[in-house]
Amino acid sequence: MPQFSKYLVLLLLVVGLLLTDESSSLSVQQSGPLIIYTYSSFVSYGMADVVAQAFRAETGAEVRFVATADSRAMLSRLIAERDARGEAPADLFVGVEVSDLHIARRNDVFESLSVDAIPNLADIPEDIRFDDEQKLIPYEHGFITLVYNSEALKPADAPKTFDELLDPRFKKSFIAIDPRTSSPGLSFLLWTISKYGDPGYLDYWKSLKANLLTITDSWDVAFDLFTRGEAPIVASFSTDHAYDLIVNGSEKNRILLFENQAYRTIFGAGVIRGAKEPELARKFLNTLLSPEVQSQIAETEWMIPANPNAKVRLIWSENIVIPSDPVLLSSEAVSQNVDRWIEQWVNAVLIQ
Amino acid sequence: MGQRGTHSVSLQVFRSGFQKRVGRLALYALPLLFLSVFFYGPLIQVISRGFSLDQLSKIFSSPYMRHVLFFTLEQALLSMLASLFLGVGLAFVLAKYEFPGRRWLKSLTIVPFALPPVAVALGFVLIYGKNGALNQLLMGLLNLGEPPIQILYSLPGIILAHAFYNAPIVARFVAASWERLPVRYEESALSLGAPRWRVFLKVTLPLLMPGLISGATLAFIFSFLSFPAVLAIGGSQFSTLEVEIYRRAIIQIDYSGAAALAAVALFFSLLSIFVYLQADRPYRKRLHIVATQRRTQIFKNIKSLIQPRYLLLNLFMTGMLIFFAAPLAGILIDSLTRQSHGQMSLTLDWYGQIFSSKYSALIAASPLQSVLNSLTFALSAMMIALLFGTILTLLMLRRRTRGQAALELLLMAPLAASPVAFGLALLWASAQPPINMSGAGAVIVIAHSILAVPFVIRAMMPALAQFDSKLYEAASALGASHLHNSLKIVFPLIRGSLATGAAFAFAISIAEMSATIMLAQPDLLTMPLSVYYLLSSRQTGAASAMCVMMILVLIFAFVVIDRRSEPSYTNQRIIEP
Repeated sequence: MPQFSKYLVLLLLVVGLLLTDESSSLSVQQSGPLIIYTYSSFVSYGMADVVAQAFRAETGAEVRFVATADSRAMLSRLIAERDARGEAPADLFVGVEVSDLHIARRNDVFESLSVDAIPNLADIPEDIRFDDEQKLIPYEHGFITLVYNSEALKPADAPKTFDELLDPRFKKSFIAIDPRTSSPGLSFLLWTISKYGDPGYLDYWKSLKANLLTITDSWDVAFDLFTRGEAPIVASFSTDHAYDLIVNGSEKNRILLFENQAYRTIFGAGVIRGAKEPELARKFLNTLLSPEVQSQIAETEWMIPANPNAKVRLIWSENIVIPSDPVLLSSEAVSQNVDRWIEQWVNAVLIQ
Repeated sequence: MGQRGTHSVSLQVFRSGFQKRVGRLALYALPLLFLSVFFYGPLIQVISRGFSLDQLSKIFSSPYMRHVLFFTLEQALLSMLASLFLGVGLAFVLAKYEFPGRRWLKSLTIVPFALPPVAVALGFVLIYGKNGALNQLLMGLLNLGEPPIQILYSLPGIILAHAFYNAPIVARFVAASWERLPVRYEESALSLGAPRWRVFLKVTLPLLMPGLISGATLAFIFSFLSFPAVLAIGGSQFSTLEVEIYRRAIIQIDYSGAAALAAVALFFSLLSIFVYLQADRPYRKRLHIVATQRRTQIFKNIKSLIQPRYLLLNLFMTGMLIFFAAPLAGILIDSLTRQSHGQMSLTLDWYGQIFSSKYSALIAASPLQSVLNSLTFALSAMMIALLFGTILTLLMLRRRTRGQAALELLLMAPLAASPVAFGLALLWASAQPPINMSGAGAVIVIAHSILAVPFVIRAMMPALAQFDSKLYEAASALGASHLHNSLKIVFPLIRGSLATGAAFAFAISIAEMSATIMLAQPDLLTMPLSVYYLLSSRQTGAASAMCVMMILVLIFAFVVIDRRSEPSYTNQRIIEP
């Protein structure tokens, strides 16, 4: 056989040079800009730019966001990267949802914060401060409920209760979201558990199966399918009507409150343990809670700002839907039972 | 010549004897070392992390996991059958008929295979969704109240999507076999009075077996390892093993669970490779390079399109074209339009966005950077895979009966390794030496090249197996140097296979997402990952534009590289109908 070794050595030298290219090292953190992991809508809807600008104006420091997925996936990615590399890949995380608090705690992701470090924290009302360890501070909140397309489903025909949703006329009409991979998905599941109890909720879901069009792994995908008209009902946020009205000039998206209830959702942010710029990170959180920045939340994030001193437009506050009887399971109950609840749900719903 | 000639010959004999052996050992050792360090090492680490009887029993005692395993196998088998059915039909047309654009079509078979699964899902939703283009068309034409086509979010939808991916690959392999078929066997049988169906069954089919087996195995493996097409087309109820590994490792942070599943996935994958190698063995004969293939000219002009004789054929081809082109057309249109206030308008904004060099948090890189990354990674991976793949093919061809089968299994293993598990393995291994000495970008290139090596082996095997070393020895005896021999004799004869191998390696690297998603970091994004992230944040316009870019890159690569792969010395007789 031919002897190519001479030329091979040459080629391999070239290849070897390629392989030891140090320009992209495994360590991500560069000195200087604050690195923030957050969910994609925080960036795509514009809030990231708002805070970054205000922060730059206050401190002169730059901010770099990484927002390639939804809140649960990004939190998991943060933890996975930290475990793989042995160091915190970012300084801040924006977007831990109240139902995911147990994930943050189990993996010891965040460090404690004090009012001294974050003065604006004092303005935030007690009832949305979901982390008694004060590692995660709330910056916005809202409600998970059902949203329907009034062009495909007449308001008179829309379901008024959970039980009505089981009606055969809604066959393949509901887009649900996987609680294993999505916070809104988990919130909706928890709502059914609160309503039907444990294990009553399993019977409910078994009956609901026939009416599911599909179960998506994130709210973003579910909402996209809903917007494309694949199904008329989706689990989503109670501000969707206001969004549709103000942004699209349309009244297509309507909100369903089953028995005046909806499930609370609260989003928090925190400084990551081992962050390279903890001082700057705390300053950023303070900026995030400032009345000026909070006033932008209503019509960028389409959530209710945490700071009561934030300003909102009348058309917004008139059209967001707030339930008179909001539901929220305690963090202890969730932390103790969520694994079992999800496993049972998986066995009941995902096995045909 | 005379004295000097004899002297140099004897020296050459002495030198080449010793140098040959050392050189050969070094030659073979390098790729093997490469595979050990970057493939087997990390994988064994992952498996040992998850391979405990405790973990395994947890998996098999969970009704959900049994369901997932069974479903993964079920959908892979059905997808394989669907891909075979469509693929063989396509191969038949490609091999037996001549029509304008045939060689283009053959080259384009790689495009569906290399598309990001989520893009295909988007294309499918756009066309075959409840509110998709096809349903809207049919409801409008036939005045229906309910959408007639409801295949998404179900097993048939998933099988269709897998067929979209794999049928062209099956077609490619089977057509290659079919083209090399010496027509005289069939003609002899026919002239001896055998009916057509018998000729097909007893003569044609056995000769097609290598292509069929390769195509079927690939279709099975790719469907088995499918991620995330199943999620996007079907939903969470249609989770496969690969999806479970990803979810456990990345979302649920259950590393031991993920590792255990990875071990299970690896077992099934190796099993399928083993079956493939066993099934392929009896057919691994030397095929004649020079084949006389007869092709019937069709589609010469519009009149020939409606000839009743070719009606079925034309219908089939038209159906196929629509099936494959529609989702791609959907993506193309999506990339050029913008929806606002219910109105669609033409725009080039999306393309402007993807060529921007501005950092986008949504993909943790600048779009232009991700395009450049993809190209860089693909070219590097292609060169490495080509180099190592060729060497490994030479290794596999050595006449050794002991351990031959095991060696083959080991070398082809990357083909069936779960890319998610492999990516995970590399991620964990890159925290320690020796892998942590290379840059993160290099690790991605390494992952891509390893995944591409089996394809290069498969492409190079026939050419190197048939390579007649007597040609080489004759030239040497006449005084030619090694370099001269390589360039003027060996290279032209294996050029076609090199081209095919290179094209496949390039395409695999461009398309690779499952392993890359585990290894990606800010600034190291690739095109398919950008598409994935953009779609998950509902930036469908930008995602579609990026997809179109990927398709263009692939077409370009295949026009440049792959068009040379069809043997130019095949005698072709074009028959006029």
